[in-house]
Amino acid sequence: MSDRLSTTFAALSDPTRRSILARLALGETSVTDLAKPFPISLPAVSKHLRVLERAGLVAQSRNAQWRPCRLEAAPLKEAAGWLELYKGFWDESFDRLDDYLQRVQNGDAK
Amino acid sequence: MSTTIRSAELEITRAFEAPRELVFKAYSEAERLAQWWGPAGLMWVKSELDFRPGGYFHYCMKTPDGREMWGRFDYIEIAEPDRIVFTNAFSDASGSVVRAPFAPDWPLEVMNVVTFSADSEKTTTITLRAWPHNGSEAEHKAFGHMQPSLQQGFAGTFDQLANYLAKLS
Repeated sequence: MSDRLSTTFAALSDPTRRSILARLALGETSVTDLAKPFPISLPAVSKHLRVLERAGLVAQSRNAQWRPCRLEAAPLKEAAGWLELYKGFWDESFDRLDDYLQRVQNGDAK
Repeated sequence: MSTTIRSAELEITRAFEAPRELVFKAYSEAERLAQWWGPAGLMWVKSELDFRPGGYFHYCMKTPDGREMWGRFDYIEIAEPDRIVFTNAFSDASGSVVRAPFAPDWPLEVMNVVTFSADSEKTTTITLRAWPHNGSEAEHKAFGHMQPSLQQGFAGTFDQLANYLAKLS
């Protein structure tokens, strides 16, 4: 079973794919231009793009002749929302852990 | 935007005024976990802990309106007192993994890598790294990719342990 967040995080786990997204955050661009800064082949860049497309992070226009790629922000927002919630949960738990460790060392708890 | 895509995981670092053995114990004994782990406002009802790689922690908590909420950890790797790697998920009373009760889009399972480092005899730093995780092939691959960085982290911890031992003698 797979869920959208897991797919997003799997797509984000690769540094080349994160660089591609960072580039697309500046504006839409062609695959050829997108591939220029990377020391890997055009097919390799296309492969990364397909992973990003499947995750819904990148869309390729079908209309224009040069078929520019653009960033799709929705899954990134979802991922950022999850990070924030999960961080909040652990921050709270760590506050209580801090209290507990103090109490246990003062002999107030086991 | 750049902060969002710089990393594909959550990382929290927190220092505690306690020796590492004690901090590790707070993570590895059911009655201690019940003292601090979990969402705010929930009451511990019961738990069962089998603390070993391949083992699990199955617990039940009660919400303020009286509903039971079950969850589980599944331990993947335990390196006492350095590191615990586990997944956590919501579950039912029988231990089967279920969707989060509050959000259908919440990940089914979350991978957590907790590292304990002794900054001194009496202070310990916990680093938590976490990301959504599922039972697919992709996840096993992701875990494989993670191994080199985990080992690097482990080496770093040994350096700190060496410093710590030097301070002791």
